[in-house]
Amino acid sequence: MVDSRSSSEARHGAGWGARFAWALALGLVAACSTVRPEDKEYLAQPAMSFQSGGEEDAHGEHVMQNREGSFGAGAVSGGGCGCN
Amino acid sequence: MPALLAVVAALVTLAAAGDARAQVQASTTATYYHESGGGLSHNAITPSVRVRGTIRDAVTVRLGWDADIVSGASVAVVDAPGDVDAITSATRWSDFRNVVSGGIGVRGEYTSLDVTYAWGRESDYRSHSFAIAGRAELFDRNTTFELSYARGFDQICNLRQPRAQDAVDRQRLPSSDGCFSADDREALSLSLQTFQGSWTQAWLPILTTQLTLTAQVLNGYQANAYRAVWLGRAAAQEHHPENRVRYAAGLGVRLWVQPLRGALQLFGRAYRDTWNILSATAELAWEQNIAAGLRVRVRGRYYNQTGAAFFSDDYGRAPRGQYFTGDRELSPMSSFVAGGRIRWELPAGDDGKVGPFNAFGIAAVFDWIKYDFREFRYGRVAVPNDTGMLATLGLDAEF
Repeated sequence: MVDSRSSSEARHGAGWGARFAWALALGLVAACSTVRPEDKEYLAQPAMSFQSGGEEDAHGEHVMQNREGSFGAGAVSGGGCGCN
Repeated sequence: MPALLAVVAALVTLAAAGDARAQVQASTTATYYHESGGGLSHNAITPSVRVRGTIRDAVTVRLGWDADIVSGASVAVVDAPGDVDAITSATRWSDFRNVVSGGIGVRGEYTSLDVTYAWGRESDYRSHSFAIAGRAELFDRNTTFELSYARGFDQICNLRQPRAQDAVDRQRLPSSDGCFSADDREALSLSLQTFQGSWTQAWLPILTTQLTLTAQVLNGYQANAYRAVWLGRAAAQEHHPENRVRYAAGLGVRLWVQPLRGALQLFGRAYRDTWNILSATAELAWEQNIAAGLRVRVRGRYYNQTGAAFFSDDYGRAPRGQYFTGDRELSPMSSFVAGGRIRWELPAGDDGKVGPFNAFGIAAVFDWIKYDFREFRYGRVAVPNDTGMLATLGLDAEF
C-alpha cells in the first residue's frame, strides 16, 4: 500500500527540484552576457571577493560550527572577476 | 608529508634567491574564543600556520598546521536532580588538538585541481581526511564552477561497554586517560563524506554572486562520550543516532558602491538535516576602503534553528523515543553576532618590497556573540554562559 502523504511529499519535492533546475538553467543562459575584462576594475577590489576575510574568517566559521547545529554552504574561493 | 615539506623548503630557497619561477606565501593566524557565566566556561585558542609555494604559476604545494587548545567547565550529567546544583559542581576539562595538512594543486589557464590530506590527533579523537576540488572558469572568467569531495575517517574514544547493552544502561566516559591504549577503552568510528558545489558569477561591473550547495553524510558515533543525561530514574551516556545527512544552500552577494568606495556584502543560508534540524542564517556586512591597502569591515549575523527531533529538555517527563541528548546545540536556539575586521597591507618601498617581503599584511577581527537557548535548561536553570567573544589576529607575507 502506498503512503499517500509520502507520495505527496515526493511530488512536492520533485516540483521544487524542477523549479530549481529551471532557475539554474535560466541563470546560466543569463550568465553568457559577460562583463568585459576592461570593466572589471570594481570586481577586482578585495572587498568584492568572497574570501576577502581570508584565514581569519575561516577561524571564525570553525568556532561557530562548533557552537551551532548547522554546517556547510560557506563561502568558497570562487573568482568570477577575471582579475588575473 | 616529508616530501611536501622538502618541496616547500626548496621553493622557499628559490624565492629567497629571487628566482621569479617560485613564489612563496606564508601566513599565521591565532584566534581566542571565550564564553563564561554562572560557573560554566569555554576557552579556545586556535593558532594556525600556512605555507604555500607556487612554481611557474602552475603547480602549488601547501602545508598547514592548526591547533585547538580548549579548556572549560561543563555539566557532566545534564538535568540531574537533587540538592547539588549541576552548574556549580561542573567538571573542569582541557584538551589539545593538532591537525597537520598537506596538499598539491595544478592550475591551467582556466582550470585547477587540488588534493589535500589532513591528519588530526587529540587525546580522545583521531582523524584522517582527504579532499579533492576541481574548478573551471568560463565566459571570460565571469563564471566559476567549483566541485569538491571530502572523505573523513575519524576514531572516537569511549568507555568499553557491551555493544548489546541497552543505551539507557551505558555509562559516560569519565576522562581521556587510557584512550587508544587501555583495555577498558574502545575506539568508535565515524565516517564523513562531504560533497560541495559552487557557482560564482559576475553579473555586472559592480555585482557578483556565489551560490553554494553542500551535502554531508555521516555514519558512526556522533555523541559526546563524556556527557550523561538524566532519564528519570538514572543517568545514561548521551545517545545519538548513528546516521545523519545534512544539506545546506548558501547565497552570497557583493555589490560595489563607488561613491562610498565600499562593498555591500550579503549572505543567506538555509540548512536541513535528517535529525530534523532546520536553520536559517542571514549576514549583512559593509567593507570600506579607508586608504591605500587599508580596509575595514563591520558585520551583523543572525542565526536561528529548530531542535533535533529527539531533543527534550526533560527526558524523565517527555522522552523522545530511543535517543537522548544533553547537547545545547541540538536544542531550538538562535545566535546574534556583531563584529568588525581591519586589514592593512603595508605599502611597498621604491624597490617594490616591504622589507624582505614582496608583500605583507596584518588583519585583526573582533566579534561579540549572544546566544539564546529557548528550551535548554540545566534542571531549572537557564544556560548561564550565553555570551561569547572572538578575537583573531592574522599576519601574511609573500616572498
